[in-house]
Amino acid sequence: MSIPKLEFPPFHLPDEAEALRGEVRAFLKGILPGLKTEDRFASWNTPSPEFSRALGAKGWLGITWPKKYGGGERTFLDRYVVTEELLGNSAPAGSHWVADRQSGPLLLKFGSEAQRQAILPRITRGECYFSIGMSEPDSGSDLASVRTRAEPVPGGFRVNGTKVWTSGAHRNHYCITLVRTSGQHGDRHKGLSQLLVDLKTPGVTIRPIINLAGRHDWNEVTFSDAFVPEDCLIGNEGDGWLQVTSELAFERSGPERFMQNVYVLRELIRVLGRQPAKRTSAIVGRLIARLWTLRQMSTAVAGMMQGGKSPAIEASLVKDLGTIYEQDLPEIARTLAESDATTEDDLADFLDIAQYATMMAPSYTIQGGTTQVLRGIVARGLGLR
Amino acid sequence: MDRETRDMLLETAGRFFTERSGKEVVNGVEKGVWPADLWKAIEEMGLPLIAVPEAQEGVGGTLADLMALLRVAGEHAVPTPLAETALANLLIAASGGKPASGPSTLALGGDSLSLQGNRLTGRVSRVPFASVADRFVAVVTASGKSTLVVVARDEASVEEDPSHAGEPHGTVIFDGTPVEFATPSAVSADRALELAALMRTMQMAGAADKVLATAVEYCKQRVQFGRPISNFQAIQHMLAELASCVAAMIASAETASRDADEGGLENGGSFSIAAAKTQCSDFAHRVAAISHQSMGAMGFTHEHILHHYTRRLWVWRRDFGSEAFWGEKIGHAFAKAGGDAMWPALTESRYAA
Repeated sequence: MSIPKLEFPPFHLPDEAEALRGEVRAFLKGILPGLKTEDRFASWNTPSPEFSRALGAKGWLGITWPKKYGGGERTFLDRYVVTEELLGNSAPAGSHWVADRQSGPLLLKFGSEAQRQAILPRITRGECYFSIGMSEPDSGSDLASVRTRAEPVPGGFRVNGTKVWTSGAHRNHYCITLVRTSGQHGDRHKGLSQLLVDLKTPGVTIRPIINLAGRHDWNEVTFSDAFVPEDCLIGNEGDGWLQVTSELAFERSGPERFMQNVYVLRELIRVLGRQPAKRTSAIVGRLIARLWTLRQMSTAVAGMMQGGKSPAIEASLVKDLGTIYEQDLPEIARTLAESDATTEDDLADFLDIAQYATMMAPSYTIQGGTTQVLRGIVARGLGLR
Repeated sequence: MDRETRDMLLETAGRFFTERSGKEVVNGVEKGVWPADLWKAIEEMGLPLIAVPEAQEGVGGTLADLMALLRVAGEHAVPTPLAETALANLLIAASGGKPASGPSTLALGGDSLSLQGNRLTGRVSRVPFASVADRFVAVVTASGKSTLVVVARDEASVEEDPSHAGEPHGTVIFDGTPVEFATPSAVSADRALELAALMRTMQMAGAADKVLATAVEYCKQRVQFGRPISNFQAIQHMLAELASCVAAMIASAETASRDADEGGLENGGSFSIAAAKTQCSDFAHRVAAISHQSMGAMGFTHEHILHHYTRRLWVWRRDFGSEAFWGEKIGHAFAKAGGDAMWPALTESRYAA
């Protein structure tokens, strides 16, 4: 058979990473009970500058970056463990999330020395937050069709266009914005560039887009003759597509792709009591087995990446399976709780949690590459296209 | 054995199974023809002794080596009790006995087995290859002690009950049956069941992998509406979803195998095995459903090989504990420990406590 073998070599996180896990757990145990956040069960889209600064003070932001930029020069696997613990313990990681996960690494890879020095240390202190300026009203999965234009003018660019679904733009400092700096709309991958845009720039208007759950995470960001100085170009003019695809790779295989609503499982176990019926235990056990498997797949991908491989297909499979698990979880949990919760109060409380999780669930298979885009990537890997 | 030796063995075994355990052999077993030549060749290669120490005239491989071999065997639907015999031999050797030649099988999961002197009583259903094995191996628990027993087939009675994959399974009845051999067991009855479940997860991972390869190849060749159906996005997405299920099975089985090996024969990877068997059994349905859908009527025929694998997945998902059995064990432990114990337990691949 000529199809490539799918392999997920089991991978143990190294001892140093596991030691770090203990430190992170102890820290979270101390700080989380005292934090006020907007969500009862926080996750990576729940902002808390207070928490981000505390995490930064521990040295756990930009943990892999060079020390000269405030980083910790630790391994990618140490970062993996910190991420896992933030999610596993429902920490409000929303303020620093994008900056630490993809904007910082992007600047480190493609940014100028001045950009790195100005920005990275602030990210590592938990003081500087980023939004992602990719999608537009007419550009979703087909990102290369973006229309926002940055016209070269003396000393910089004049930017016009609209970005949407821009999470956190109303409270973050910067937005790395994908723009067309040359060529025409139909030129696809050519002529795109990335700009480091200060969200306070005159001509940049931020308007809320409320999602179906009533939350204000998203924004529409409009550029009307906004002037962006030339030293805010990231990397080379025209290399935007290459840069943006490398950024997307950070979005696929991490634990955030199957642990966004892990609190549902934890709370389900709580409301079912210490001795659920056999049939109920079996269904809970199946959910736990799926989560465990996803974690093993994700650490296997992390191990391959640490070993210098770029397992794009495997990473896509993790996100595809992981987000579907996250969508199944609130549904299965709700029906179990309805029949088996130990008390009426517990049930009412849990249904509230499950309802919120249900409302958020559709976003999981859309953000960071839709299931259909991912399946296209896998199909190419299988030699089908 | 070192990585290189194992890879060489697996490659040789894969080639051997391709040549000697093809479609006709698998179909033959279903018609009641025991492939004596195939079994003889398997023994000549030393495969049933792969995890028996060299000092006991075995090949000297590890539990992980055995499991890796079984994944390859699963990929070829090898219709003999290779897995059962190799695990039985490992258990016999670990308990200080000497494995005999010939096919053996495992009579596990019967809570009711009791041993009086050297006579065994009880009934075990769904024993794989019950009617062709030379002997049954079981672990009997009495007052906290585990005893490994070996019973010659002719001493017990077997009610034939072929599996839904057409393999000669059956219910074994011991009725004061004299045992050939009894010794303090290296593993408990529960552990023997775990190891057998692990063996099935690896076979399932192999079979699922083969299903994926078969469906992908078929869709690339099958032409409808003037082009290979793999050109249709609907088919591409189905096969991508199939790949995700197969990936989960492979990843869970391989992790359980590693954990069992690293943690030792007595209790290594206890939780990982339960989770992997739950996962593999859970996804068997999607793997079968999607692969059959992608291959249409062709894959539904007896003539095609797809059912050699999908039917085995349906049988294996129930063997030595289904997703309901192992899932319940996991769910029970996690419920008892409470919600906050879940995440720490998961990161250590252990039952919550």
